[in-house]
Amino acid sequence: MVSMLTVDNLTAGYDEADVVSNVSLNVIEGKITCLLGANGAGKTTLIRAILGLNNIRAGLVTFSDKDISSWATHDIASEGVTCVPEGRRVFGKMTVLENLQAGAFLERNASVVMQRLKQVYDFFPKLEERSDQLAGTMSGGEQAMLTIGRSLMSNPSLMIFDEPSLGLSPLFVKENFRIIKDINEKGMTVLLVEQNVRQTLEIAHFGYVLSQGKIVASGSVDSLKNNSELRAAYFGSA
Amino acid sequence: MDPGFFAQYLINGLVQGITYALVAVGFTLFFGVLDVIKFSHGDVLMLGAFTALALFLGLDQLSTPAWLSLTIMLCLGVIAMALLGALLCKFLVLPLKESPPLNTLLITLMFGSVIREGVRLFFPNGSNPKPFPALLPETSINWGNLNLRLDSVILIFTGAMAIVLTHLFIQKTRMGLAIRAVAQDEETARLMGINFNKTVLMTFALGSGLAALSGISTGLYYQEINFSMGLMLGVIGFSAAVVGGLGSIYGAIVGGLLFAFLQTLGAIWFSVPAYKDVFAFTVIIMLMAWRPTGLLADRSAERV
Ligand SMILES: Nc1ncnc2c1ncn2[C@@H]1O[C@H](COP(=O)(O)OP(=O)(O)OP(=O)(O)O)[C@@H](O)[C@H]1O
Ligand SMILES: [Mg+2]
Repeated sequence: MVSMLTVDNLTAGYDEADVVSNVSLNVIEGKITCLLGANGAGKTTLIRAILGLNNIRAGLVTFSDKDISSWATHDIASEGVTCVPEGRRVFGKMTVLENLQAGAFLERNASVVMQRLKQVYDFFPKLEERSDQLAGTMSGGEQAMLTIGRSLMSNPSLMIFDEPSLGLSPLFVKENFRIIKDINEKGMTVLLVEQNVRQTLEIAHFGYVLSQGKIVASGSVDSLKNNSELRAAYFGSA
Repeated sequence: MDPGFFAQYLINGLVQGITYALVAVGFTLFFGVLDVIKFSHGDVLMLGAFTALALFLGLDQLSTPAWLSLTIMLCLGVIAMALLGALLCKFLVLPLKESPPLNTLLITLMFGSVIREGVRLFFPNGSNPKPFPALLPETSINWGNLNLRLDSVILIFTGAMAIVLTHLFIQKTRMGLAIRAVAQDEETARLMGINFNKTVLMTFALGSGLAALSGISTGLYYQEINFSMGLMLGVIGFSAAVVGGLGSIYGAIVGGLLFAFLQTLGAIWFSVPAYKDVFAFTVIIMLMAWRPTGLLADRSAERV
């Protein structure tokens, strides 16, 4: 098992307060690693620190054996890390096609971009139908597909999803999980941040549970499913 | 009104309007990528015109032909101001990114005064108006009451081309995509691998280059420049950008043309020429009260 992304004793926060402290985790190559936790646990803060959007106060982030702790976000992206951010954040005033082109910003070879575009359109035929529509006018579910497509356009080696199913109807949530599973089965390494515990544990391989900024449980998905304390505390007792 | 007079006003208004639009596009670009108002913009315009004038004085010593002088003045003037814009952004604007927008406004306002006073003190005899060489062909045709100057036509055409090219750059190129992405969502743009600082510097260079073009055009048209020309042009350009809808390029163009149109109307209605600005600003203030986010703000499809 090769750890593609390693977070080692990371502390991050805003202003005076540390929001996450001494967090360590590994994202295993080719697998889905999930990060579970309630609202306000610090999941987004942790992801943003990994991506260079928040300052890291202590600790190390290593990606493919490179210490990226102090790298700028765009340099981290050019190493092959992409993120489907919380709240999706499509470029609302650009068309669907332009959003996808923005996703492939780092690829200068137009024919490679076309090739990726074709793959994304094969994966999401709806995006091809809507290629000229302004992204901001699409439904939440369509925007969810677009952000995933946009991330795929960079041909990443690690995809980080921050609560991709937030705000979607149950049908779309299910669809969304299926898509993530699909992408992973094609070889993609995934770090999946979620609150939707049951469905996340269905598709993930490893998991971490974050509570008030600290990792309180971790391990294989099976071990997490059987952790009775966790079941009571976070997953409901079902 | 006599159609000849009407056409004359229209042409004069267009020359002015395009000049204003060039300034307004800069304000709109800066605001688009960084949500800042850069108040030294008018003074950068003025410095662009003075740079061109200084180059001319040098080239004139070497008896360079007019067309060559003009080309050199335009290219170097625009490039020099683009560089200045990028430097200003790197050392004064970007470092203040996390502080209140008011600070940026103040600092650039002060920097503008430094440029202005610098020109006044250090340009030979800088406090007096300077004659600007008439380098464009002086041909004109008379058509009833219309005196159509070739230089007006050239200035309108050049300014319009510059705006069209800027628009195409922003809509069709990779760098333009980066500018639009940063304008819409800075963090997500970074996640796509876009270098934020580089994009912002490019945008400031672009806007400042356009200001230089505007300043040189003004010099060529009036054949006179002075150290405080940027004050009025800056305020007009800013008003044009705001009334059109800050952040929208179309808005900046509409705002620039509208301001010139209002000045022209004012000039026709009032016999005292100074009233034309009072009239134009009054109407602009009323428009801003009526549409605080700008005329095109909710209809324009994109910001930048
Ligand atoms: N920009 C900010 N400035 C100050 N505090 C912040 C900021 N963003 C988040 N916080 C605080 O940090 C804590 C963790 O927030 P974070 O967004 O990381 O949680 P989360 O686990 O992602 O929650 P959710 O599931 O609701 O997205 C919260 O208490 C929040 O109020
Ligand atoms: Mg979150």
